[in-house]
Amino acid sequence: MIKREVVTDAMYNAIRLGATKMPPDIRAALQRALEEELDPMAKKHLEVSLQNADLSEKGNGLVCADTGFPMFFVHAGKSTVIEGGFNTLKACAEEATARATAECFLRPTMVHPLTRKNPGDNIGPGMPKMELIFDREDDGLEIIAAPKGGGSEIFGTFYRMMFPADGEAGIKKFVIECIKDACYAGKVCPPAIIGVGIGGTADLCMGLAKKAALLRPIGAHHPDPEVARLEKELYDAARKLGIGPMGSRGINAVLAINLDIAVTHTAALPVAVNAQCLVGRRWVARIDGNGNINYTGVLENA
Amino acid sequence: MRDIKLPMSEADAKSLKLGEMVTVSGLLFTGRSRLHIRAVEDNIFPPIDYEKINCFFHVGPVMRQNGDEWEVVSCEPTSSIRFERYGADVVRKFNLRTLIGKTTMGPRTAEALKEVGGVYLTKIGLSGNALRGQVKKVHDVHFLDELGKTECTWIYEVENFGPFFVAIDADGNNYFEDLAREADAKMPEIEAELGIPEGYTYTEVNG
Ligand code: SF4
Repeated sequence: MIKREVVTDAMYNAIRLGATKMPPDIRAALQRALEEELDPMAKKHLEVSLQNADLSEKGNGLVCADTGFPMFFVHAGKSTVIEGGFNTLKACAEEATARATAECFLRPTMVHPLTRKNPGDNIGPGMPKMELIFDREDDGLEIIAAPKGGGSEIFGTFYRMMFPADGEAGIKKFVIECIKDACYAGKVCPPAIIGVGIGGTADLCMGLAKKAALLRPIGAHHPDPEVARLEKELYDAARKLGIGPMGSRGINAVLAINLDIAVTHTAALPVAVNAQCLVGRRWVARIDGNGNINYTGVLENA
Repeated sequence: MRDIKLPMSEADAKSLKLGEMVTVSGLLFTGRSRLHIRAVEDNIFPPIDYEKINCFFHVGPVMRQNGDEWEVVSCEPTSSIRFERYGADVVRKFNLRTLIGKTTMGPRTAEALKEVGGVYLTKIGLSGNALRGQVKKVHDVHFLDELGKTECTWIYEVENFGPFFVAIDADGNNYFEDLAREADAKMPEIEAELGIPEGYTYTEVNG
């Protein structure tokens, strides 16, 4: 049985590490982009961002001050047992979020949508967002904390209900236009990771886009070769826009374009886009059945 | 790289070129949506001398209190384009010659900046940790209890603060609008390569 305080600790440390460290695959991809860019301003954007991540790692500062929406993706196994049952996970996520906020690892950013009142601890209806996924074989728990920045969520979210006749051309047109809009003036802090969901219902479609953007390591592609082909075509196209880091003149508007699909209604073709910003914040806590925790910035291949 | 003294003189503002990288030194005030909305809709704004403290930094910093002192944990500029509805009014109301933020602002704010002889500076990369070290002193805070640490107004004294680059110059030209036009011009070719037929439109179901 995994103790409740172990879960809370794992969530707290994962979100703290997520807010203060840059995952290694993201850093390597930004470094490659830096070597490739030619425009001095495009280069400067990346140099400064990488230095900023170094400073944050050394001084316990933040990779970016907008720690945004606190989110946890929790993968559970067939025989995972948690003290207090799975219901306790929500309370653990709230405690972890409140503690990380009190210690200045998360900025108090979540407010009531109508009164705009800020409780100061990033907690309220629906937040922190926690998604529980039962897809493991063991008795452990994998927690991915992803504090998702405002810029990428606010300016990088698009949805369109298309129709079967709109076809692949429609999907491509929609995605490339979204990328151009999202990257204008550096709104989503490019180079972005673009998640695209195709199919399902509206919420499922957007969930696919979000998880494709947040939870897939750089360099991994969709297992279905047809989907992977679309990813590559769109990636190549995005590099021709002439938009680079932070919306400058350059090549790297995107670090990756990750598609995912779900079957959908025979009359429908829903497409959703959700962007992740260049800091690519997420950190993983893996807990085994005995409660031992292991932290890493490396995602398992999706 | 030039370091510009705050408050920025009209001559300095006019000498800045689109795309030029600069740092600034002197006093500035912070704010986000709430400052804009309250100043324009309710005529409530921080009681400061806007002639001396004339640089508006769009930011919601992470601040930590140590006894009576406030420490900047991180201050990453926030997206200015969100404030476009109120931007021009705020620039005219306080005669602001320096705006610093993220992204850009729209044509109405650019017009107001042209009128007062001001510029809009935008961030280079992510630099919140370097910027916090360039805040030499936190002088004051307004509306902390009402608006909280993120939305309230802080008065910072900064030294060689930046670098930022000129995204809107004192003649109202916008670096990003120029670049967007270039990207739009490339779209037909990109779409053709993706196999999107010329003149393609999505299925329209709303009459
Ligand atoms: S979108 Fe930009 S400003 Fe917002 S969290 Fe991401 S990197 Fe930071």
